[in-house]
Amino acid sequence: MEGFIYSDIFATKGVEYLLVISVLLLFIPFWRMVSRPAKAIYQATERIIPALSEWFHLPAEKLYYHQGHGWAMPESGNVVRVGMDEFAQKLVGKIDAIQFPQVGSKVTQGEKGWSLQAGSKSIDMLSPVGGEIIEINENLLKSPESIGKDPYGQSWLFRVQTPKVSANMKNLLSGALARKWMDGVRESLLSRMNYNLGAVSQDGGVLVDGIAKNLDSEKWDDIAREYFLVS
Amino acid sequence: MGMDRRTFLKGLGTGIAVAAPGSSLLPSRAEAKEVVASKEFMGVLVDTTRCVGCRTCESACAEAHAMPAPDMSDAAMDKIRPTSVTQWTLVNRFKTDKGEVFVKKQCMHCNQPGCVAACLVKAMEKKENGAVTWDTNCMGCRYCMVSCPFDIPKFEYDSAFPKIQKCSLCWERLVKGEKPSCVEACPADALTFGTRREMIEEANRRIYKESGKYISHIYGEREVGGTGYLYISAVPFEKIGFRTDLGTTSYPEYSKGFLYSVPIVLLLWPAFLIGVNTITKRKHEVQNSEGGKR
Amino acid sequence: MNTGIPAEEKRNFKDIVAFILSEMKPTGKLITPFNVISAPLIILGAFLIVYRLVKGMGAVTNLSQEFPWGIWIGFDVMVGVAFAGGAYVLTFVVYILRSDKYHSIIRATVLNGLLAYIFYAGAIFLDLGRWWNITNPLFGNKFGANSVLFLIAWHFLLYMLAEFVEFSPAIAEWLGLRKLRKILGSLTVGAVVVGIALSTLHQAGLGALFMMAKGKVHPLWYTEFIPVLFFVSSIFAGLSMVIFEGTISHKVFSDQISHEDHKSYDDMLIGLSQGCAVSMFVYFFAQFLIFIHGWHWSLLNTPMGYWYLTEMVGLVGIPCFMFFQGARYRNLLLIRTAAILAMIGIIINRLNISIIAFKWWIPFSERYFPSWMEIVITLAIILTEIWVFRWIATRMPVFGKPPAWAEETH
Repeated sequence: MEGFIYSDIFATKGVEYLLVISVLLLFIPFWRMVSRPAKAIYQATERIIPALSEWFHLPAEKLYYHQGHGWAMPESGNVVRVGMDEFAQKLVGKIDAIQFPQVGSKVTQGEKGWSLQAGSKSIDMLSPVGGEIIEINENLLKSPESIGKDPYGQSWLFRVQTPKVSANMKNLLSGALARKWMDGVRESLLSRMNYNLGAVSQDGGVLVDGIAKNLDSEKWDDIAREYFLVS
Repeated sequence: MGMDRRTFLKGLGTGIAVAAPGSSLLPSRAEAKEVVASKEFMGVLVDTTRCVGCRTCESACAEAHAMPAPDMSDAAMDKIRPTSVTQWTLVNRFKTDKGEVFVKKQCMHCNQPGCVAACLVKAMEKKENGAVTWDTNCMGCRYCMVSCPFDIPKFEYDSAFPKIQKCSLCWERLVKGEKPSCVEACPADALTFGTRREMIEEANRRIYKESGKYISHIYGEREVGGTGYLYISAVPFEKIGFRTDLGTTSYPEYSKGFLYSVPIVLLLWPAFLIGVNTITKRKHEVQNSEGGKR
Repeated sequence: MNTGIPAEEKRNFKDIVAFILSEMKPTGKLITPFNVISAPLIILGAFLIVYRLVKGMGAVTNLSQEFPWGIWIGFDVMVGVAFAGGAYVLTFVVYILRSDKYHSIIRATVLNGLLAYIFYAGAIFLDLGRWWNITNPLFGNKFGANSVLFLIAWHFLLYMLAEFVEFSPAIAEWLGLRKLRKILGSLTVGAVVVGIALSTLHQAGLGALFMMAKGKVHPLWYTEFIPVLFFVSSIFAGLSMVIFEGTISHKVFSDQISHEDHKSYDDMLIGLSQGCAVSMFVYFFAQFLIFIHGWHWSLLNTPMGYWYLTEMVGLVGIPCFMFFQGARYRNLLLIRTAAILAMIGIIINRLNISIIAFKWWIPFSERYFPSWMEIVITLAIILTEIWVFRWIATRMPVFGKPPAWAEETH
């Protein structure tokens, strides 16, 4: 029997421990990187959803958002100005017509406010406030395609009068909460993106107008309705 | 609740179905590790300095087990041969710097045989007297062939009813108090039969008495945990066809780690999985009750 | 599109038998490229199987005393079972972790797992020289419980039962048996838990078989951790097979798959790719750790060493990186290619341990290469399994939605 010389049976233990520690340290960035899309994909999606980052620069502090993507801005007296946010417009793309509620009619917060016409599809949107319509935006009625120009300013939809302004605003999002909500919307959009969209955006190919149409050319209105919280 | 009961009943039913034949799994002794045999293991001492290569052992073995007579021509030893389905033992000739050395090859009848640990139907068994034997309840899976460090079991591929063929230490003769046929037949006194303990003593005696003649090593004393066939030689063992890299751990020890972990996994995994399932159930219920889409 | 028979409160045995018989008729075209190629192979395989049973293994295989195990063990059983690992991994994700993402493919995966074990583990039957004794480890009084193979035999059987229980709700839906469906649905989680525990052990066990082949398996592959490596690799082997087989099934059975399931498929691929990337990362570094432990640097500069590096770097490291990038860049083509490479890596790994790196010193001319008959029989078994899968998937709710009366509860 051989083995009268000392042989260290644990000779490699030191190296093994070092290796394990390095692998564990390596694992942390590996895990983080594999769990989310690459930077290029984020950047590409931001090109398609351009104003993704601009949403954080909310134009006026007094802007309140409804989860169905309408916005409300209280004005003096009991008047609130209402519009649809930039995301909604970018989602749907070119709008052929907008069906406004009648002046003098009543709208209810969280129920159908107006509907958009694009091609053969008609998509409702929810009103962010409840009250009586006192004015609608005639310019927008005549040229609905201009809605993308200034969604928070010139392209307002209508103004309502309601005694319960603060009660209405309480149900809406603003400030940090609004930003958080937008993060969620953005995540949900990203998770819908598939390879084709990524490839098209990476080589700057031709994008069809409207994010929803890029996600699904046939059933894009269903996608839009999902975000606008209508059926 | 209903699910738990059904799962329990299912388990109980399975348990009962297993218990009956499973009783053969229970160890017959409480401490299954230290088995005090009523008999000692028998062993054979092969002195390669005495073997002249007459190969009478080959014919005797073939005759005793109704196998065809081996090719006794000198040319048969030109190549190093493995045992075969018709030759349980054979003598190989090695050319060394101390002249020609003849080495008898056969099953080593290990103390802790790999083949016995491998056999899932107990066709390979270590008998109380040390013989490792094969029985016909074999399935022909050939796992014993994979597990044998010496590559001894041979399989009858050409038969529709194949058997495993290997030396049985003439077990049928041993129980009658006789010696193995090869030992009986050897004219040169190269094979000595007795208890393994006696064989090791004899080997040590020869090595000590004729100092310088033998390599100071008994092959099989500790290799793979000890074997029933023991060899002494005048030349280093690797020169006469022995593997010297087999280590002293018995081969069944290598599967021990895995086999011992089986009951632990079967205990821990279900507990862990049901635990996680229960935790995620609460999370799921909470999520569903909040409702709404994102 | 299949809907099975609508559920009725009373359904007698004769109805069910008549229904099953009516389902035996082919539903699609008989002359398709796949049928034309596979049918003759299956028939030839059947003849060869009879020949093997009548004449013995030597007449059909190239097995030898030096190489007792060939592709029927090394490929059919070891690779087949590794690829079936998708079932235990995905049932863990869907039923234990309750992830909603993979629900649409879980039935197909479980069905594949069940059929894989029935066919490939059943292929062991052909590899048994004394096959009439196959019941000996199951019934009788001579149980070799000391054998790893004993454990594997029992686990295969129990796992088939667990998989069958997991899949049986689909059969109950097909036969319109409402009450049975409810009972079977409640057994699912139990079967999943049992299935995962069993899978862990027999995936590892297939590796543990070679623990007693120390000295025969090349030191770069032989390690006391083979069982752990087999277990970890079965995770990404199974997931890669889900990706590969899913790509094909998705096209073949696309008329059954609902619109939402089509849309969620790409999302699932990303998830599966992440799972593969992480498990391959762990596996790769486990192999590296074991290599360090053995300190086998000098062995790398040998033919076997180069082969080892090819397997580890080329067929583990590279697909791992491809899965990683594929998930990050949402590149489905990259993911699918990675899956194929990973599967090839598993095949090579299992064949290495059982055949190629087994007794590596034996010269080329004396080594084992499968005979054409072994290959045909192997192909026949795989193709028959695909035929059975197709028969089931076109009739039972595997890809399509279950009938409305079957509520899924977990």
